[in-house]
Amino acid sequence: MNRIETHASGPSGQLSEKPPGIEVDYPEETVGTPLVSNPKMSVRNVDVSYSGKQAIHNVTLDIGKHEVIAMIGPSGCGKSTFLRCLNRMNDTIEGCGVSGLITLDGEDIYAADMDPVALRAKVGIVFQKPNPFPKSIYDNVAYGPRLHGLASSRAEIDEIVEVSLTRAGLWNEVKDRLEQPGTGFSGGQQQRLCIARAIAISPDVILMDEPCSALDPIASAKIEELIAELSQNYTIAIVTHSMQQAARVSNRTAYFHLGRLVEVNDTEKIFTAPTHQLTEAYITGRIG
Amino acid sequence: MTNLTPASREQKIQRGLKKRHRAERRFRIYGASAIIFGLMCVFLLFADIISKGHKAFLLTYINLEVVYDQDALGVDDPADAIQMSSGDFHGVVKAGLRNRFLDVNGRKNKRELYSIISNGAGYELRDSLKDKPTLLNKTIKVWLIADDDIDTYYKSLGDKTGPFKGRMTDNKEVWLQELMRSGDVETRFNFSFFSQGDSREPELAGIRGAAMGSFYTLVITIFLAFPLGVAAAVYLEEFAPRNRWTDLIEVNINNLAAVPSIIFGLLGLAVFINFFHVPRSVPLVGGLVLTLMTLPTIIISSRAAIKSVPPSIREAAIGVGASPMQVVLHHVLPLAMPGMLTGAIIGMARALGETAPLLMIGMVAFIVDIPNGFTDPATALPVQIFLWADSPERAFVEKTSAAIMVLLAFLVVMNTFAVVLRKRLERRWS
Repeated sequence: MNRIETHASGPSGQLSEKPPGIEVDYPEETVGTPLVSNPKMSVRNVDVSYSGKQAIHNVTLDIGKHEVIAMIGPSGCGKSTFLRCLNRMNDTIEGCGVSGLITLDGEDIYAADMDPVALRAKVGIVFQKPNPFPKSIYDNVAYGPRLHGLASSRAEIDEIVEVSLTRAGLWNEVKDRLEQPGTGFSGGQQQRLCIARAIAISPDVILMDEPCSALDPIASAKIEELIAELSQNYTIAIVTHSMQQAARVSNRTAYFHLGRLVEVNDTEKIFTAPTHQLTEAYITGRIG
Repeated sequence: MTNLTPASREQKIQRGLKKRHRAERRFRIYGASAIIFGLMCVFLLFADIISKGHKAFLLTYINLEVVYDQDALGVDDPADAIQMSSGDFHGVVKAGLRNRFLDVNGRKNKRELYSIISNGAGYELRDSLKDKPTLLNKTIKVWLIADDDIDTYYKSLGDKTGPFKGRMTDNKEVWLQELMRSGDVETRFNFSFFSQGDSREPELAGIRGAAMGSFYTLVITIFLAFPLGVAAAVYLEEFAPRNRWTDLIEVNINNLAAVPSIIFGLLGLAVFINFFHVPRSVPLVGGLVLTLMTLPTIIISSRAAIKSVPPSIREAAIGVGASPMQVVLHHVLPLAMPGMLTGAIIGMARALGETAPLLMIGMVAFIVDIPNGFTDPATALPVQIFLWADSPERAFVEKTSAAIMVLLAFLVVMNTFAVVLRKRLERRWS
């Protein structure tokens, strides 16, 4: 719990690249309210580097229970990298080093005795590009529960599949063709299938990495509705390029800039009265 | 920037366009002519082999009246194996020939007469007596295999350049003419070519021994090379860290794939036969050597197949909590399987056609018996082709071409199987 690695950090307080026309000092501290009273996940002083090149600098953030937190920021600001640290997806990338402390329900997820497989059963993820397995819809959704032994009989798996697909808003569209390959559907349907697959293992937290960037506006709207419904039962962290989407779906919004967490505030506040100059520059469209 | 009027610009573009179109057409013609050249070579190869080899599937038979004479044979009970094996069945054939051509006199002429029927005819008579003991002391007309000189001559009678005489003598020609006049010569489909092993007598030689040898060898090869190759490829591609050691291994695998195959034969001789004392000339050692030879090819093609599995599928599996092994077994291997199998079967096809390493481990021997297992002495199809091509008898020319046809048929079947397998296993992903 008190494992804080020291890490050769980059030049603090120095922006390697300042947005044109904006003269600001880089904040030493994240402004706004990064901490909450009932955190599901806590992130303290996290640095991430790829083969020595630092991608995330000293991020501290709480993700509250059953909240939807949106992460926004210009391309390459590290928001996806940060999201992938939360269920150790970065483990698979060679040369990726994470230091600092990330906890789930008070447990250090980078502890030596933490099995990433068990972690990912609690923290699910939905990717940018819909990536259903080239198997039937049924097998796509049933894969996770079978893997973790969540169901002992065919009937139980049937139930999980139905509940997950219903929650993902896909049941009525696919209930007659569960044996068809998941790859044969439209992009929006595939993405909802991926969400169904993620919630089939009943995770506590769902990470979404720009889930709508490959979808058309109608399909995006359906996913957004879905996020609103899911937020009643799950904690959701979503990375998005679209500020409108962040404004529509999230309770809180975190603004990343060049690997640093600049500002965290209630979504309403960040979009109406941002505290930091960089945040304001971004949401008014001057950088991005 | 020069000042161009719209008209002159248009003109320049038009002129350039014509040139480009010509270049496009030329480019396509190069490609098409390369394909036509390739197809012509294949066509010539097949035409040559088939025109030379098709006659090997026919065999000349001579109809002769023979007497299963108890005294001449020295057999009074066809059920007695010892009597049967020492019985003078060839003498019966000779007697039949003497009776057919009563005017032949003198030892030399008689010996010449006897040579128009194959040495194997006596064994045929023995087998038919064994099957039907009631034939004893009966006189019947039977079709007997002609000698290869007669066979070659008879089958080339219709040729434009005239029949191939070779070792034919005037006497033999006269006798054959007489037999033909009475309708006692005919060609039949050569079943024994597919059911017999090798022989010094071309008319008795068959491909079966070599085909079975190749089969047993390839069974060993596929059951060793495929699992080893896939395991190595999966480990290198999915689990091994990237460092100097894995780089070294990769370079060595690529080099091994380019090593001349005869070197693997020497290695097999030194390691398997001289050190481990595996018996020589057997499919087991042939399979081991060919495994060494195909392994690098299979590893390289398997790695390519594994690499082509989209990373998004791996991420999806990891994302729902699959362990690295589960990712490989549930997702990567099924998706990579078509590519890996194709690589393996192409490697097998290469192994099937490989001669040089087998020469080094003694699979070049003259073996009459058809192998019945992995430790029976055997040769392989390409080695059989080599052996027959080396034999002096004219009749082996067509046998060689026929054996090549059999080998090519094997290859075509294997490659077709690879294509069908790939099509069936291939799944689409977006």
